[in-house]
Amino acid sequence: MTNANSAEPIIRIEHVWKFFGELPALQDVSLHVYQGQRVVIIGPSGSGKSTLLRSINRLEEINSGLISVDGIDVNDPKNDINKIRQNLGMVFQQFNLFPHKTVLQNLTMAPCRLRGMPRKEAEELALRLLNKVGISDKAHAYPAMLSGGQQQRVAIARALAMQPELMLFDEPTSALDPEMVGEVLDVMVNLARDGMTMICVTHEMGFARTVADVVVFMDKGQILEVGSPEDIYEHPQHPRLQQFLKQVL
Amino acid sequence: MLRRLLCALLLPALLCSSAMAAEKLVVATNPEWPPMEFLDDNKNIIGYDVDMFKAVAAEAGMEAEFIMTAWDGIFAGVAAGNYDVVASAVTITPERQKAFAFTVPYYDVQQIVVLRKGDSASGFADLKGKVLGGQIGTTGIFVAQKSGVDMTIREYDNVGLAMQDLLNSRIDAVVCDSPVALYYANQKEGFADQLTVAFRTEATESFGFVVRKDRKDLVERLNKGIEAVRAKGIEAELIRKWLGE
Amino acid sequence: MRENEENGLPAGMAPEGKIEVPAGGLVLPDSEKGGIVNAWSLSLVGAVVVLTVLCTVWPDPYLEILRFLPGGLVVTFEVTILSIVCAIPLGLITGLGRLSHNRVINLIASTYVEVIRGIPLLVQIFYIYYALAKFLQVSGLTSAVIAISFCYGAYMGEVFRAGIMAVPKGQTEASRSLGFNKVQTMLFVVLPQALRTIIPPVGNECIAMLKDTSLVSVMAMPDLMQFGRSFAAKSYLYFETYTVIALIYLIITLLLSKAVSILESRLNYYDKRK
Repeated sequence: MTNANSAEPIIRIEHVWKFFGELPALQDVSLHVYQGQRVVIIGPSGSGKSTLLRSINRLEEINSGLISVDGIDVNDPKNDINKIRQNLGMVFQQFNLFPHKTVLQNLTMAPCRLRGMPRKEAEELALRLLNKVGISDKAHAYPAMLSGGQQQRVAIARALAMQPELMLFDEPTSALDPEMVGEVLDVMVNLARDGMTMICVTHEMGFARTVADVVVFMDKGQILEVGSPEDIYEHPQHPRLQQFLKQVL
Repeated sequence: MLRRLLCALLLPALLCSSAMAAEKLVVATNPEWPPMEFLDDNKNIIGYDVDMFKAVAAEAGMEAEFIMTAWDGIFAGVAAGNYDVVASAVTITPERQKAFAFTVPYYDVQQIVVLRKGDSASGFADLKGKVLGGQIGTTGIFVAQKSGVDMTIREYDNVGLAMQDLLNSRIDAVVCDSPVALYYANQKEGFADQLTVAFRTEATESFGFVVRKDRKDLVERLNKGIEAVRAKGIEAELIRKWLGE
Repeated sequence: MRENEENGLPAGMAPEGKIEVPAGGLVLPDSEKGGIVNAWSLSLVGAVVVLTVLCTVWPDPYLEILRFLPGGLVVTFEVTILSIVCAIPLGLITGLGRLSHNRVINLIASTYVEVIRGIPLLVQIFYIYYALAKFLQVSGLTSAVIAISFCYGAYMGEVFRAGIMAVPKGQTEASRSLGFNKVQTMLFVVLPQALRTIIPPVGNECIAMLKDTSLVSVMAMPDLMQFGRSFAAKSYLYFETYTVIALIYLIITLLLSKAVSILESRLNYYDKRK
């Protein structure tokens, strides 16, 4: 990125290579994300966009290059990855709520155990967040009792409970029934309006157009084009982006 | 009904195969009771009882084929008709006589208690609070239980395991028939130098061969055989050979 | 039948004495199928009725046998409980070891499982009690507990491994992404969920363990089986003694299998939709 911002980027991705066996999943990828930026990553399946996102909190280990969060190299074994992750909220395609815990416990578990937050305080925070995502009435339900959309909103609240500096969304609406996509996107839009720094892998163009500052197009493990939503969707330059948009739209 | 059918089917076959041979008895023994019955290095069942019964059977005009059986269950097998005779240092007791038929006594023994060298006892009373081992279901165990002395009695599958545990100091004493006790305490390599005879019971027990209760005919034939073996001096010879007395 | 006649028992009692045991181990009672008549309740009621009838109609010898056995039952439970207490942590460690990415740990755990699974429990008991006595002497109880828990630790290791592997990878990822380390993730997220898959087979292993404690009688351990053998060897009442022994084992294992299925349904609390 050639954003002429004088501040240090929160996320610095430099010349990252990642292989699955012999297949390159990321090929010399570089990207900077700054405080308050909303970045949307698009691209066909298998383009490496999820891999890139998961590399940021080291759910995937890269083979070469550098990824740093707040200037801390996430792949340096000297740095405590668990501390770094506490600062990076992550939302998965499959929600991954803890099924054996109630909704409230899903939210309070990490703050209590990792931040040493008193239970009462954690529960208040959790209820505030549940209220924010619109399901405070389900605080004592188990995840299996919730719809997909509700579960995903709880998952967002769970990530927020750690009060992270940045949120990573890995196709948060792909596993949802169409009628539930809206409720989850609404939560994400509100989050963006609150000024949360976000990186989203998503196909939701409406969302990208509404909130994104930057849209990144990836294909075959490479970043092929970076630009504003308008640039990307209205004036795509790269032929493969043009082809991709034609298929998606 | 089924039994008769089986007999009808099997008899001709049996008769054919042994048309010329003498009647064959299947004899069960628990070959873990040296020198009465044990296995030699080639897994053959040998011992006083084996030779004695073969001689008795020969005198009675029969042949004997020995099979190996666990002691625990040896009586159930003869009751079920799995074999004709038990020749396995079986003491004649009133309880056993209720359930089975016995030949006349063919050998007399006592119970002997064996200890590790250095220990001593002159009666069960001296074993109070100690651990006594023996073979499950043998008269040695019964005698110890009847003594009423407060001791722990451990019943092993065979007397050899009990002797082994005595060597390993897991138990303090082993009780068994006198020939077996003397064999371990005086003769058997690895045991004789570490074990000693403590005392023997006053009461004498007699061994008899066991058959099913409804086969009195067989008992009579065997009794005649025993008589003949004694008369011919074979018994004395076998006692010298196996028991060194 | 012949045995009955010889033991002076009425010939008519054999059909009653027959106990149906489901082939291939125990069938855990299935709460879904409900109803009063199922294999489990039929077996339990049958066993209890047969035992009661035998003891009331022929108190000599049945009641006598029953009175003789409690001492053995205590030892059977003692060996079983101590073995369970040792085997479950051993199984957990083995299961985790088998899942470890550390080559050495993985190899140790896998070798342990391979070796133990290849040796019959009876041989292991003999080995620890009689063979190892050359170097190190342990009591019958200790040998029994070591042999049984080592044997079942290996079996349970596989159960734990399968149970842990059955927890979706996303659960681990979600936990790690929140900032929990590996140990916390295992303790707070994976194991509580794995428990649900693990409990029924572990329960079955525990029941099998109780049955296998009957092998310790070879070390002259006075367990239920040994008491029965001792009684039978003295009285020559093989049919009667082993009938009672079998019924007691059956009743205990049936009750335990019920306990396991209750525990299992308790652990399913979070699956029930409104």
